[in-house]
Amino acid sequence: MNKALRNPITYALFLLPALILFVMFFIYPTITAVYYSFTNWDGVSSTMKFIGFKNYTKALGDEAFWKSVLNNGYFIFFSCFIQVPLIILFSLLIANVKKLRGFYKTAVFMPSVMSTAVIGILWSFIYQPEIGLMNQVLGIFGIDPIYWLSEQKYAMWAILITNAWQWTGFYVVMVLAAILAIPKDLEEAASIDGATGVQRAFKITLPLIMPIVSVVIMLSIAGAMKAADIVLVMTKGGPAGSTDVMATYMIRYAITNFKYGFGNTIAVLIFIFTAIITLVYQLVLARRSERIEY
Amino acid sequence: MMRNWKSSINHIILLAYMLVILYPFLFVIFSSLKADNVTIASNPFGFPTEFYWDNYVNAWVNAKISTYFWNSLYIALLCAVVSIFIGAMASFAITRMRYAKLSLFFFGLITVGMLIPNNSLMLPIYLLIRKMGILNTHMALIVPYIANAIPFTVIILAAFMRSLPGEIEEAAVVDGLRAPGIFARVVLPLTVPALVTVFIINFLGNWNEYLLANYFLSEDALRTLPVGMVGFRDAYQTNYAQMSAGIVFSVVPVMVIYAVLQEQIIEGLTAGGVKG
Repeated sequence: MNKALRNPITYALFLLPALILFVMFFIYPTITAVYYSFTNWDGVSSTMKFIGFKNYTKALGDEAFWKSVLNNGYFIFFSCFIQVPLIILFSLLIANVKKLRGFYKTAVFMPSVMSTAVIGILWSFIYQPEIGLMNQVLGIFGIDPIYWLSEQKYAMWAILITNAWQWTGFYVVMVLAAILAIPKDLEEAASIDGATGVQRAFKITLPLIMPIVSVVIMLSIAGAMKAADIVLVMTKGGPAGSTDVMATYMIRYAITNFKYGFGNTIAVLIFIFTAIITLVYQLVLARRSERIEY
Repeated sequence: MMRNWKSSINHIILLAYMLVILYPFLFVIFSSLKADNVTIASNPFGFPTEFYWDNYVNAWVNAKISTYFWNSLYIALLCAVVSIFIGAMASFAITRMRYAKLSLFFFGLITVGMLIPNNSLMLPIYLLIRKMGILNTHMALIVPYIANAIPFTVIILAAFMRSLPGEIEEAAVVDGLRAPGIFARVVLPLTVPALVTVFIINFLGNWNEYLLANYFLSEDALRTLPVGMVGFRDAYQTNYAQMSAGIVFSVVPVMVIYAVLQEQIIEGLTAGGVKG
């Protein structure tokens, strides 16, 4: 019995392909990112110098970098305080209807299977000032055309709305599954005790779905820190860097401006910031929502 | 009576939400059938009065959709197949072979991969691809796509294989099968539901990937659909009717897959919590 499943050569052969790829594309890049972040290498020439923390002080002293950090912050803020309440509302509503439930689920999830690049193109068209859908709709209410993607004060909003449009449904389906998994007798008991629909939602359903809401927030934060393609496709970080996020800032320096070492410094900073935010969130908030068993 | 009234309010709010989700698609479909920007501007919401199919022909030719489409399709398929195969072998070794401590370590290591924000590894991976001499070939996408899918694939498949009862191997061993035989003839067939889910998720991820595809390939004929579409948008920015037809072309295949495999897609994506 044990002999067949305890053969070191077979074990190694089965595990090696995955491990080699993993080391090549996860471990090795992580190490080299840290290594090059302390150099002034331009990515092509044969010479480079170790310059200590100079890249780090340069990044942390650059206003444009902090602008990009702030924009990642907007992504997180928008997800947690605007998207999450809407996600909970919509999933409660869908859970409470019987007719059309399947249709709602299918429709809301659809944008999340599509390419972010194509969605960026689609929404650039919607935001197009003269013929785009957005200004046409606003025009009905007598609002003058807004230059969504070319004006600094609107561009970030335009991207955040597009991002929310793409991902809200994904999380609605996650939360919906959690709501539908709550045993019916809990609701019925509350109903017999005279609790109204709103009371049941706040006192029974909501506390029971907190673990999954916490997962939704975690995933939103991870997604916010990774955001890049939507920005590249819709605004390329412009106008004047006003929609840059850390990832697009990194790409701009490393690939377009041949500052490979500095680019890696930004990569390491993205790592560190992501780790800090995740840790803070886990310590401060997630602890309250432990696993629930019925 | 009261109940009916309440559920109507629910439906009204939800239908408004549906309108926000679905109308952009309708807007693009309508626009793709209109003659030009002027027609779109004069009748933005409605159905086109005259169908203008030329946009589809022009978009297909100008956007080189056929080239991008096949590039995307074969890369996405190949990588999805290879990564589930490699992932399944690793998961088998980790969950079914008798090296508990070592397996626990390797599984932990691979799980860490899920926590690394993979965008930020783009620069070192670019360098690695250049050193391997495969920059600007399709291998520049194929190898990283396979590698990137491994943590997710192993986590899902290992969870599934772990849940299989131990008796199945005992029977197989009695029948004289060795580890590779147990893997190929017993465990793999039983894992098919999970394999299908992981395959779809990996396929969609590769099909939609933009960042690496944009920076690792510079030759137009090699491009994948998302990158090709952005290039097309930049080149024909003023012709929105044609651009809409291009969007329709690139969205339809995913819509068809989604219509057929909806259940597995939703289950897989929400289980893994992978985004984009």
